[in-house]
Amino acid sequence: MLVLRPVEQTDLPQLQQLARDSLVGVTSLPDDSERLREKIAGSCASFASAAEANGPENYFFVLEDLDDHSLRGCSEILATAGFDEPFYSLRNRHFTSASRELNIEHGVPALSLCHDLNDHTLLRGFHIDANLVRTPFSELLSRARLLFIAAHAPRFAEAVITEIVGYSDEEGHSPFWDALGKHFFDLPYAEAERLCGLQSRSFLAELMPQYPIYVPMLPQAAQDCIGRIHPDGQEAFDILEREGFETNSYIDLFDAGPTLYARTSNIRSIARSQTATVQQRPQIDARGRYLLSNNALLGFRAIMAELDFQPDQPLSLTPAMCAALNVTDGSPIRLIAL
Amino acid sequence: MIVRPVKVSDLPALLALVQQAGPGFTTLPANEDRLSHRVRWAQRAFAEQVERADADYLFVLEDDDMRVVGVSALAGAVGLREPWYNYRVGLTVSSAPDLGIQRQIPTLFLNNELTGQSELCSLFLGHDQRHGSNGRLLSLGRLLFVAEFPHLFGEKMIAELRGSADEHGCSPFWDSLGRHFFQMDFSHADHLSGLGNKSFIAELMPRQPLYTCMLTEQAQAAIGQAHPNTEPALKILQAEGFTHKGYIDIFDGGPVIEAPVRNIRTVRESLELTLSLGSPDEQAPLWLIHNRRLENCRITVARARRVGSSLVIDRLTAKRLQLQPGNSVRAAMLPNQQQQAVAA
Repeated sequence: MLVLRPVEQTDLPQLQQLARDSLVGVTSLPDDSERLREKIAGSCASFASAAEANGPENYFFVLEDLDDHSLRGCSEILATAGFDEPFYSLRNRHFTSASRELNIEHGVPALSLCHDLNDHTLLRGFHIDANLVRTPFSELLSRARLLFIAAHAPRFAEAVITEIVGYSDEEGHSPFWDALGKHFFDLPYAEAERLCGLQSRSFLAELMPQYPIYVPMLPQAAQDCIGRIHPDGQEAFDILEREGFETNSYIDLFDAGPTLYARTSNIRSIARSQTATVQQRPQIDARGRYLLSNNALLGFRAIMAELDFQPDQPLSLTPAMCAALNVTDGSPIRLIAL
Repeated sequence: MIVRPVKVSDLPALLALVQQAGPGFTTLPANEDRLSHRVRWAQRAFAEQVERADADYLFVLEDDDMRVVGVSALAGAVGLREPWYNYRVGLTVSSAPDLGIQRQIPTLFLNNELTGQSELCSLFLGHDQRHGSNGRLLSLGRLLFVAEFPHLFGEKMIAELRGSADEHGCSPFWDSLGRHFFQMDFSHADHLSGLGNKSFIAELMPRQPLYTCMLTEQAQAAIGQAHPNTEPALKILQAEGFTHKGYIDIFDGGPVIEAPVRNIRTVRESLELTLSLGSPDEQAPLWLIHNRRLENCRITVARARRVGSSLVIDRLTAKRLQLQPGNSVRAAMLPNQQQQAVAA
């Protein structure tokens, strides 16, 4: 059975292997043991904090296979984007050219560096074992974060965003980067993303153009990248889109990947998840597949299971499920159908 | 050959002349109404009936048979009636020493910094007159006029030179920049600009600076590059001390060159001398000579000898200048060069 739980310091060696395999562009997962150690420590402190509002906390989850204790994926929630350092994105809006005298008016799309997404909660660092891609475990890894937000709403902002990795080719070249960022950095895309993971992302963002970039002035290949998703980022996108997230006018400043946005209270797994109390049963006559969590904080656990759920009735769980979730008879459970 | 203020009776000849110049010559379009308006306005300027902001001194080059063979102009001031826009080529530095990053990105800043300066413009010399000192007379005569009447002009003289264009008149700078904001081709925009809509057009352009690395390579190469046809005019003005300080035309990227009036060679070296008659020989140097009048301004080039505070010229030259011996002239020796200003 696979369980999602908060990361622990002893996860470091396995986490580093995951980081090594992660997609270029998932910059919150650096392949650097010192940085990872800091991230784990930061996450432990976040889960242990008594935060009453969204602050600098970063909640780092891992997906563990209970059979062999291997880690199969990880994901994160940053409570507040832009809390410790500005959160940069490119806003894609129309610049209107107008002349009454010439009777001309038309819009030219322009990309402007902005901090508009500061203060939103950010889902990031989604990475799953290649063997589990497009299985329900991807849903568990991504959406269990939403169950966590539902259980601890005051710790999060009123809106949640995520950046989907943008297009780059098989050699790791991003046509958008080549047309924009490269002029300002003179670094290959992959190297810039690597530095972002190691150094501060805002540090690099501050080297980016401060004045608008007019889209028609970019080469066609770069224009085509705006809002385009890397094939390996499609699943992360699809899962959150089904949750009610929408693209908007913001894109990633390096690879032009889309940003997804949702009001926290409108997110499907948050708005529609239900609570129940546990009743341990040796066997269940399963009627459907669910994501369920124990609603805890430090001891947060989430799994995917076949259940027989009846609203307003105690929820029957097998001993194995109870063990995975670290719950007993009468414990509260939050669940949502897959 | 003389340079003199334009007259209404010059209109037919002027129209024929600017038709020779073709569509690139936007400040003097071959449009009878526009031309007529401009000529009448110039007459008022020479009569000192307009403010500096509106002053447009339009000169013609006339041969001894009283045929109009060239035209050039001086604007008292740019930008005082409607905004005058240029890009200034500045620099943005992207630097992160720890990462070994140090990028210098030339950046275009839209500005009105040349507001109030005076402009040399609208020069065109007929195709069959491009020899001898005609081009220099037509171009530098204006500077002698400025030397004589500095109170009519700003601190600096500027000249916008036509930028690079291909054989079809397409401007790579326009194609990479302006076109995106206008959705019209260069010749149409340039035509509107010539009709006096320049500031309306400029207002369609983005206000924020533009990184040149976003332009095509051809457009980047066109920044500050004069059209080959204006190369001679550029050389003449460079020899007068005009330099390119980084201002360019917002449409075609052509250079705007400038010089403080007091530093312009012709202004600096010009002398007030008393005219006397004689017969300077073929070895005598060429002088640019002005009769020191405004409304009846006459400027010519002739061989002359300076003797103390006198300038000795022949009778025909005096006649061209409408002067008598003993009259005062302003004169400057013509620089020793072979350039022929033909269009600017």
